[in-house]
Amino acid sequence: MNFYSTYFIIAIGLFAFVAVFTLFGVYAERKLSAFIQDRLGPTEVGKYGMLQTLADIMKLIQKELIIPAAADKVLFLMAPVIIFVAVYLGFAALPWAPGLVPAKINIGLYYILAIISIETLGILMAGWGSNNKYAILGAMRSAAQIISYEIPAGFALIAVVMIAQTLDLQEIALQQGILSTEKIKFLGFFDVSANGGILAWNIFRAPHLIIAFVIYFIASLAESNRAPFDIPEAESELVAGFHTEFTGLQFALVFLAEYAMMFLVSMIGVILFLGAWNTPLPNIGAIHLADWTTNTAWGIFWIAAKTLALIAVQMWIRWTLPRLRVDQLMNLCWKVLTPLAFLCMLISGVWRLWLM
Amino acid sequence: MNIGQVLFYVMAFVVLASALFVAGSKNLVRSIFMFFITLFGLAGLYVLALADFVAVTQIVIYVGGVLVLILFAFMLSGRETLNILQQQKSKFISLNKLPAILFAALFFVVMVNVLIKTGAGNLPWIKQAVATNAAIGPNDITVNNIGINLMTRYLLPFEAISILLMMALVGAAHLARKERGAV
Repeated sequence: MNFYSTYFIIAIGLFAFVAVFTLFGVYAERKLSAFIQDRLGPTEVGKYGMLQTLADIMKLIQKELIIPAAADKVLFLMAPVIIFVAVYLGFAALPWAPGLVPAKINIGLYYILAIISIETLGILMAGWGSNNKYAILGAMRSAAQIISYEIPAGFALIAVVMIAQTLDLQEIALQQGILSTEKIKFLGFFDVSANGGILAWNIFRAPHLIIAFVIYFIASLAESNRAPFDIPEAESELVAGFHTEFTGLQFALVFLAEYAMMFLVSMIGVILFLGAWNTPLPNIGAIHLADWTTNTAWGIFWIAAKTLALIAVQMWIRWTLPRLRVDQLMNLCWKVLTPLAFLCMLISGVWRLWLM
Repeated sequence: MNIGQVLFYVMAFVVLASALFVAGSKNLVRSIFMFFITLFGLAGLYVLALADFVAVTQIVIYVGGVLVLILFAFMLSGRETLNILQQQKSKFISLNKLPAILFAALFFVVMVNVLIKTGAGNLPWIKQAVATNAAIGPNDITVNNIGINLMTRYLLPFEAISILLMMALVGAAHLARKERGAV
């Protein structure tokens, strides 16, 4: 029985983490947007307005659950749950530190790609269930966008998998630091297996993976429906897109899913391209910086720091760039990102055969 | 009964019940969403059979691809067409359904026959695999094996399928294309 209780504790812990992250993620986003737009942001509740999101969530919990008269009740009530659970399930396969992973799945990356695609279904369910033209338009846009951008994202990830030769995320993480059992070559020539640090990260092991990383990052913005790819909830034309009709707890769940998705896609990016839980500090001569900063606690610190940095970049982009029009969006995906991702995959194959 | 068997029966029940709902429901959209549960339950059954790669592929292709496309087509079609579809004669037992019932019953007989004739409990090749320790265990990695087999033993079918998909893609692009000169 002990065996199963650990699973429950891990699941609840992950959920608590997602909830806490969302609370402070929203606060960080509001402060960051305020800084970018030269405003102050929340200042009233608590010191520097830090309790603002806590107050917001209290308000959301107390709100009445309103189901529109014309809505399909079952679908309407189920949709936010499915949207959130799809994202939440993805967290099961992510490694946090050497030897610390909730579920060691040997096809972890593939599993996450599959689980994320379920979110589309939840969004379509929300759109149809609401029985509202704005909601359904938003849901259609969202589904079209997510399906299209899954292709460049998938191929950028395959480029890494071809170099790493495994789908196990923990294995991919291991290969990018001093704990690696195989030889790591910086840019394909200099042996840095003993140095580790930033030199051993995937984007420096093979330079074309930098392009793959940028492709993945852009596609991940689209998959989490964030600006500049937020036409599914474009508030100037569609009110709020697929979640127009949601109030109270249901709205909170949709929001939770959005922030969880941001964390999930950033963490996948970090694991595959930016060295996962490996330290950025290399061993230099007698100073063994990498050895000193590689263990479980440091692992959690590094991966959290890198992921949060990537999320900060996502927020920065959201508040800097204007929204893309729908044809520009599709042009970018099919005419720029997809061919580039194919090219990266091709180079990966050649790289693996001749340089590694 | 161990936990594996319990899970199997739970999953099998979910699959069968949701599949019945899909076939029987009058509300088309709900039956599509119920189909999602059927597919998910099937993926669970694959996992129990230690075919984790097949299970995940099932979700990627059917849930992420086919089901979303069905919904897309559904939402693009007008409400009137859907209403006509939903207002069919609603008697549970009627003469119109006789051919379908006959066909289903005959198919069921064939399936049961196949199951009894093969004797799934003691197939020689499974016994041989267990005896020589070649059977796949819960901790084995199956992906590598699938990859190697696709590129060696099953290369021709693999390529044939890729050509088929290519033809479908070209056809779809041709159909969706604007006529030259037409705006």
